[in-house]
Amino acid sequence: MVGKRTGGGLLLSGAIATVVVAGLAVAVFALITSVFTQGGTGCSPGPAPATGAGAAAGIVLGPPGTGQLVGATEYGGPGDPSSGVVGSSGANLLQLPDSYAELGGYTFQTATAMGGLPYLTPLRITWGDRSAIAYKRDIGFGGGPIDGLARVLDLWWELAGQLGIPYENGLWSGPVKIARPPQTGAGDVLGQASSSGTAPALIGTSTAEQDPATCAPQAVEGVPVTTADRAQLLANGLAAAPADAPLAVRQMIAAGNQIVGKPYLYGGGHGLALSAIAPSYDCSSSVEHLLYGGGLLPVDYGGPSAALESFGQPGPGQWVTLYANPDHVFMYLAGLRWDTHADGADDGSTGIGWHPLIRTDGGFVVRHPVGL
Amino acid sequence: MTARRLALAAGRVLACAGRALACAGCVLACAGCGGHAPRHAPSPVAQANATHEYPSPPPPGQTAAHPAPDATAAIRAFATAYINWNALTVSADMRSLAARSVGQARAAVTLAAAQTAGDYELKRGGIANSGTVEAVAPLAAHGRNQYVVVTLESTTATNTTAYQGLQPAWHLALATVTEARPGQWVVSDWQPEN
Repeated sequence: MVGKRTGGGLLLSGAIATVVVAGLAVAVFALITSVFTQGGTGCSPGPAPATGAGAAAGIVLGPPGTGQLVGATEYGGPGDPSSGVVGSSGANLLQLPDSYAELGGYTFQTATAMGGLPYLTPLRITWGDRSAIAYKRDIGFGGGPIDGLARVLDLWWELAGQLGIPYENGLWSGPVKIARPPQTGAGDVLGQASSSGTAPALIGTSTAEQDPATCAPQAVEGVPVTTADRAQLLANGLAAAPADAPLAVRQMIAAGNQIVGKPYLYGGGHGLALSAIAPSYDCSSSVEHLLYGGGLLPVDYGGPSAALESFGQPGPGQWVTLYANPDHVFMYLAGLRWDTHADGADDGSTGIGWHPLIRTDGGFVVRHPVGL
Repeated sequence: MTARRLALAAGRVLACAGRALACAGCVLACAGCGGHAPRHAPSPVAQANATHEYPSPPPPGQTAAHPAPDATAAIRAFATAYINWNALTVSADMRSLAARSVGQARAAVTLAAAQTAGDYELKRGGIANSGTVEAVAPLAAHGRNQYVVVTLESTTATNTTAYQGLQPAWHLALATVTEARPGQWVVSDWQPEN
């Protein structure tokens, strides 16, 4: 209970309270827990049943999860009355025992040990062989590392109990694994929501430090939008996406904007994951980077231009049309051409990026992604 | 250039040749009375020569099955179908939804139908989504046919534990409707926000 919550009470008073009640804890604990326990059996400090009637209300235990090992503490309960029962979000934690607090500061703005998660952000938390989904409903100050791990979250004592963590009057600390559960809802599962894939890393890197190669192709934020019915080439070389274009098209344009101006190198970009930003690209690797950005190719795809002769379906698409042959591949995206030229194209455009002019398409196989 | 585009371009050349003759006559007539040479918009051929671009023909009109009598009903029907499916039905559900919508909405769900048809992970996990439409409200500041849609959804899986323990969550989508004919409303744009 090193992390204290702004909605809970006074700092450091938990430790003092622990000393005060230490002699009485064992005898009083059973009595007090009977008051706090809604289900009657769910707050035993010992090992709790993994599922079923013994679980505290609202906590659903799951299988062991993978994830990131972090330092955690617990708070609340009979041995830690100073923490109170109302989280800084205003939630009554006794009624919502599947709760955790993000540590790092005294305010919501400064308690950002996990990047400053919004309230109600679900996390899968695993301790030993038990795992549960918990929701952020509180914040706390935190403290130094635990077993060399950054101290990032405080577990509400009933949640900790269900995970099998021994109740130590709010003084337990140790490592747990945390992971984001998959996003839910049709829009996210189908990959069509604007927020799909944009959840930031939990800890370890700030947004500014984050490797753009790890997530940027998924992001659509920052892509200029035009009210025109075709993509527009901007003065800075980037493309603006039509506002009514499907999400996949906007994502592809976002991915293209990431690598505009990269130097052309035959074979460049191949051998790397498509999520990476390569120092150079050739025609096929650059086209594949965009297709990956739109969720149309797996991250490890790396075929040459000839392989794209069989991509998707034959013929031009409504939004995306590829022109491929064994020597070259380029495509039109919402009316704008994405192409690569080693040097000095004969249509006045050069380099890797968006081109406003069309080029001859003789000798190319015409394909398009299904549905686009 | 495709054969279709060549035919299109040839047709335009003939049409513009006729137009050019007419313009020439007009210029001569105007010259006689001291007027300025008339300004004409560049012909499609001249425009194509200058920009190397050949405008695409307009797409064929779309018709939707089962239009609704009002905008809200159209959105509720679309949203309800969009959020209620399982791994075995989702592709067919999205195809059906495509037939009932137009424009970007049709493109979006057509893409979803195609992608889910080959999504092995979706089927192997036995993933399903269910929910209810909680609210449909007009976006006053964004045109009269745009709405915000609030749904309460649960995602579950029979063969994976990844979703176990997750509570139903609120989701939001932006929808645009079009009145295809008087009293016949269809969804023309669908953008889930989260």
